[in-house]
Amino acid sequence: MVLSFFTDLFQQDFMLRALLAGLILGVLAPVIGSIVVIRRLSFIADTLGHFSLVGISVSLFLSTLGISIFFERPLYLGILFSVVGGLLVELFRRSYKNYKEISMVIVISIGAALSAIFFSLSKKTGSLYNYLFGSILTITNYYVILILITAVIVFALFIIFGKQIVAVSFEESNAKMLGVNVGLFQFLFMIMLSIVVSVLLESVGVLLISSMMIIPVAAAMKVGWSYKSTTIIAIVFSELSVFFGLWMAYSFTIPSGAAIVSINVILLMAISFIKKIRSRKLVKKEPITNESAE
Amino acid sequence: MQIDVHNLSFSYGHRTVIDSLSLSLSSGDYLVIRGKNGTGKSTFIKCLLGMNPVKNGMIFYDHQDINYFKEWTCLGYVSQKFEDFNYEFPITVNEFLSVSSLRKTSQSNRLKALDQMGILELLNQNINNLSGGELQRTFIARSMLNDPKLLILDEPTASIDKLSTEYFFKAVNQLNLQGVTIILVTHNESLGHLNYSHVLTMFSDGTNTFQTRDRCDLSEVDF
Ligand SMILES: Nc1ncnc2c1ncn2[C@@H]1O[C@H](COP(=O)(O)OP(=O)(O)O)[C@@H](O)[C@H]1O
Ligand SMILES: [Mg+2]
Repeated sequence: MVLSFFTDLFQQDFMLRALLAGLILGVLAPVIGSIVVIRRLSFIADTLGHFSLVGISVSLFLSTLGISIFFERPLYLGILFSVVGGLLVELFRRSYKNYKEISMVIVISIGAALSAIFFSLSKKTGSLYNYLFGSILTITNYYVILILITAVIVFALFIIFGKQIVAVSFEESNAKMLGVNVGLFQFLFMIMLSIVVSVLLESVGVLLISSMMIIPVAAAMKVGWSYKSTTIIAIVFSELSVFFGLWMAYSFTIPSGAAIVSINVILLMAISFIKKIRSRKLVKKEPITNESAE
Repeated sequence: MQIDVHNLSFSYGHRTVIDSLSLSLSSGDYLVIRGKNGTGKSTFIKCLLGMNPVKNGMIFYDHQDINYFKEWTCLGYVSQKFEDFNYEFPITVNEFLSVSSLRKTSQSNRLKALDQMGILELLNQNINNLSGGELQRTFIARSMLNDPKLLILDEPTASIDKLSTEYFFKAVNQLNLQGVTIILVTHNESLGHLNYSHVLTMFSDGTNTFQTRDRCDLSEVDF
């Protein structure tokens, strides 16, 4: 049962597709995630995810009415709604300047309520489970290609504008002096995030999007010594989680998104634990001297 | 860079922090802004940087209205507080400097800026692990990296030791002699060590005085 994962991996098309999709998302999620973390927007992925879900439920609802939009692919309306959610966050943010997270809670609530309503109206509550927890093992070719295109676009943007993206994320107030239009940057970043979130939603589910983006980064931050090393370590953690998560999901028939995130969390805890032990040892070996107090 | 400020007023809500401020600087001038805490020095700087919208009065850079000004990359700025900066994510000083400059600055350019601030050994340090003073010097080095035409420094030496302060003012003088316009904020009473050409004094009721000083005579510092 455990070993059949490896044989099936190369005999079953769906396994290969799942692995391929997972490995691409495994790079994409922490790369975007690190910028999200730096910009202190960890909650926004969840917010956009919930709004993406509204788009999906509306799309399903419309199709029961016989109205087909975006070729019956709910994902696209999901992306559109995700962008709308992002704009709403900005809007509410203006009225709660010092409590920015309030705006996200408001938008998440609207998103959850609306998607519940439209899912029930569309009488497709059965598919809700997949959207909540993901279904990477049932992913189609169409979808794998879409993920690949998203990844290529995001990486191209990072190669061309990486400097500006990193600099402005660390410090928005200096953006002007770097010749970056902050408003435009925020807007484009939100669109990029909306697309990535919507793509992640179909594979890992709305409840686990931010985990996939944030947890590997959170673990890497504990051991990274530079921006570059932290990002690379986050990608490695993320890929390990995808691979072993898929193995777990297949071998024990548990939801794939949940399995991937569980491994992520285990890695994070292991890193925190090891780091704590090591720093304790260091303190014991090198008692603090007065040398540095000069 | 030529800077003209005409009758600038600024208030937070009903509280007027700047009351009709006017001044004029030419390329290569060195303005010191002084005043007690809370007199609006940083507020004025934020007007100059376009972070506070200018509604009453006007600011011109090289005769261009600030609202239409585009060449912000000619400015270098060291903020008084670094609260805007997100520290917790690891990034080395070297990485920080290289993403902070638009042009492909060579490693030697970065090394020179760090050396000027006496923090060459911090090159590969994680910014998270720097002390307040080291951080401030890193930001100062960053502001010099892009060869700015105007350098705006808001109490840049507030948290660094005496020797680095000396280094820093020497470097500022050097840049000023090369034609860079300097605007320096200080709440320090003694300006004896600064080779400034103009001084703007701000008071807590929003008023201010603007004076020109003969630079050849360093002994004459009028308070
Ligand atoms: N964003 C703000 N909103 C409201 N009041 C402010 C804000 N920033 C500064 N102030 C107030 O304006 C006054 C001038 O502040 P500031 O320009 O920082 O003074 P300085 O830099 O001279 O110490 C202070 O009383 C301060 O409390
Ligand atoms: Mg100030």
